[in-house]
Formats: sequence, C-alpha cells, structure tokens
Amino acid sequence: MTVLALNGIGHAYLGRSVLDDVDLRVAPGEIVALVGPSGCGKSTLVHIAAGLIEPRAGRIERDYLRHAMIFQDPCLMPWATAAGNIEYVLKLARVPRRQRTRRISEVAAQVALDGQDLAKYPVELSGGMKQRVAIARSLAVRPDFIYFDEPFTALDVALRRRMQDLVISTCVCGRLSGLFITHDLHEAARIAHRIAVLDTRGHGILGERRLTDEPQSRDDAAVFRWVQSALADDPLFRHIHDVDERQVA
Amino acid sequence: MDEPFHLSLTASLAKRTGRVLHFVWSGWAGLAALCLLAAAWQAGHEAYGPFILTSPLETLREIRTLAADPDAWSIATMTLQRAVTGFALMTAVGVVLGVTAGYSSATLRIAAPLITVLLGVPPIAWIVLSMIWFGPSDATVRTVILVTALPVVFLGAAHGIATRDRGLDRMAQAFGAGAVRRFLTVGIRQTTTTLFPALALALGTAFKVAVMAELLANAGGIGGALADARINLDIAQALAWVLIAVILLLIVEYTLVHPVKGEIDRWRHAAQPWGVKR
Repeated sequence: MTVLALNGIGHAYLGRSVLDDVDLRVAPGEIVALVGPSGCGKSTLVHIAAGLIEPRAGRIERDYLRHAMIFQDPCLMPWATAAGNIEYVLKLARVPRRQRTRRISEVAAQVALDGQDLAKYPVELSGGMKQRVAIARSLAVRPDFIYFDEPFTALDVALRRRMQDLVISTCVCGRLSGLFITHDLHEAARIAHRIAVLDTRGHGILGERRLTDEPQSRDDAAVFRWVQSALADDPLFRHIHDVDERQVA
Repeated sequence: MDEPFHLSLTASLAKRTGRVLHFVWSGWAGLAALCLLAAAWQAGHEAYGPFILTSPLETLREIRTLAADPDAWSIATMTLQRAVTGFALMTAVGVVLGVTAGYSSATLRIAAPLITVLLGVPPIAWIVLSMIWFGPSDATVRTVILVTALPVVFLGAAHGIATRDRGLDRMAQAFGAGAVRRFLTVGIRQTTTTLFPALALALGTAFKVAVMAELLANAGGIGGALADARINLDIAQALAWVLIAVILLLIVEYTLVHPVKGEIDRWRHAAQPWGVKR
C-alpha cells in the first residue's frame, strides 16, 4: 500500500533533461529521504510530486487526503505576522474562522512558539524561528503527507539539529508520511525510515536502503555509525557528495 | 501562551489610533521643511521686492481673501475634481496594464519602448492634441493626466509583479491556492513596494498637469485663475493660487495615499531600527 507513487517521472528545462524515468513509492506513516548531489533534480522531483510542476512524462498517484510543504526558504509573507502566516493556509484549507485561533495555538505549542512570537512579523524573527513558523504552518492544516524541500540547509548545525528533532517529534511520532529531500546523509539517517538515492543526472533512483529501527529511537552513535559505514562501504552512496557546478548553474 | 496574538476590537482600535497619532507626530519634520522654504521665500522677497516675489505673509493674506470668496472655492474644487478623477482613472488603467505586463515578460518587453515614447512626448504636446480632440473641458485635463502619469504607474505595477518573490507563489500553490487566489493574496501585495512611490509621483504630476492643461486650454479651474492673475500682473494672487494647488495636493496625498500605504506597509515599520521610527 502506498500514499504516494511516482511512476516513470521525466522532466526537462529548456530542452535539457533533468529527470528521466524516476520511480518512487512512499508507504503510509513512512518518511522517505531522497538524497543526491546538488543539481541532480531532487527539488524538481518533489515539486512535481507536490503538483507545483507538471512533469513532462510519467504518472503520479496520490492516496492521501491533504499535503503540506516545508521549503528551504521559510516562504513567510513579510506583511503578515507569524499567526497571520499560519492563518493564511487555514483560510486556504477553508477552516472556519472560529477554529483557526485554536488551531494556531495548538501548532504553536507543538513547535514551541509563544504568543509574543506569533504577534511578530517575519522580519523580527531569527532564521530558526521563521522555520518553526513554517513547520507550524504545515502542521496547522493537519496534513497526512508532508513534502520537505531541503528545509534546513540554510540553518547552522545546532539549529538544524533542533529542527530535525522537531520534525521527528511532530511528523514521525505523529505517524505522518513524507518525502524529505536533502543532500545531507546524516540528516536523512536521523529522520527517515528509508533512504533513496537519486542518480547524479536524474536518470532514475539508483537504489534505496531501509534503516532498521524507528527514527525517534535512534541514538546519535547509531546514526553516526550508519552514515560512516554507508559512505565507506556502500557503493550506492559513493557519488552523493559529487557536485558539478556547471550542471547546478 | 504569554500574550494573545489576536487583538480584541478595543486593543486593535487603540493600536490603530496610536499609528495615526504617530503619523501626525511624524509631520513635524515636514513642517520644519516648509518653514525652511518659507524662510528662503522671505529672503527672495526681501532681495527682489514685492513686484517680483510677494512675501509669504502677504500670500497667506491673499489666500485668506480668496477663502472668503465662494467663486474661489468652486475654482479650486473644479481643479481638485479633475486632478483626482484623472488620477483615479490613470491609476486603474496603469495598475491593470502594469500587472498584466508584470506577469508576461514578452508584454513587458514590447511595452518598454512604448513607455519610453510616452515619456519622451512633452505634456504640452498632449495638451494641444487633447484641446483639438475634446475642447476646453474636463476630458482634456483628464486625458493629459492619463497619458503623462500612466508610464510611471505602469512601470511601478509591472516591476512590482515581475520582481515578486516567487517562493511565496509556490508556497500558496503548495497549500492549494489557485491562480486568482495567489494573485489576490500574494501577488498584488508585493506590488506595493514599487507602486506606492509611483502613485505619489503620479499624484503630483496629476495636479501639475491639471493646472497646466487648464491654463493652456482655457478650461477654468486654478489654471484659468492663474491665467487671469498673469494678465493682471497680480503676483500675490498668482502665488496664492500656486500655494492653494500645493495645499490641495498635500491634502489628497496625506489623506489618501499615505494612510493607505501606512496601513498596508505597517510591517515595514517593524523592520526599521529604533530611532528611524520617530
């Protein structure tokens, strides 16, 4: 049983093929991390999966009720307060006005935002707080599937770790399904149930590895050992840190 | 929760009143600039005499005399009505065309040389053409305002849309907003950065052009009154009418454009460092 199935996805920008024959499946309650070097088409694939881009080839089957998305840039409307940004997606989801305030308070508590933070404009918030608001916004619509498009790439190491913990506590423990795009294998190993590797030139999924226990029960030492072993011994991960700047541009 | 994030009606009204009072208080800087201008004006008057430049006080006395005359009120109202309706018409046309061009880069490329042509044609040429087409009427003044101020508003709206944060579009789309909803909730809000300075400039142009068109087309209003003052070599009355036109412009700008801008852009206030806010 799958909640998301990508079958033979292909896409091109201005005649240059960026994705070709990509197949990927996500099971209910499963977080799948998609890793690959910069410029391999990960973000394009997640945008196609979320319906933001029409693929040139292939079929997408979505068997979830509602999705949400967390972007690399928090994408907060600068003219609205943190509460206003969360309320915006609730309006789009047609949540009745009377329920919105309660919903905002609930998700704010989940991501440790207080009333003062909610009344602030994005320009008054730090990078980490903005990303918290973005996570709260995604949780507010009560999705059963979340797309993560390299959400913590721009954050420093300590902040990134806190955000990963937040995702584990809210999404993984909440049994949400998700597709997590990252080029950081350590991040993938912390958060995901399964890691898939996209080909350097986007020509399909090279392979995937399932991690043994649940993300919330993995300790740092186990994650570190798994990443070291994968990078040293597993040929699947040999090229995930390759970067072709020309291709990225 | 430490503090409620949704304000009650009373708290919201109190906050809004605070913003209005803050706006009024910020007017002291403008008042200081006007006093400096009056000082330079007085110096000019003392250097060249009352026949070339009447004193600010004498001009104010002339304005007081005009204020007691009901005909002067109808003259000023006529110009005000023409400038404001011309400005409103030009804003509607400019924003619609600009937003359309902002979403279509091909249209913007085609429109760019046309805008240069429009900007290159002097307003006086449009006044002559409008006089031929419409005679000395409201339509002449409005047409000249439309043609001369349109490029600025068009470019303001077009660049606001063209340089918008596309990440916000993607975000809205990811959460289910259709194209129209995205435009109304995310797109149009991002034009304010470039549109409001353009509107302020266009409003000034509207008043200047209205007076000029009235003067040259003999269409009454403040322009017509200025023409009469010129014939009578009445410097005090000419300056009084100029001052009245400026006062009308300031009234419209500070009761229409700035309050709307202040309300829409109140988040920018939060971004300003302490000290710049006062």
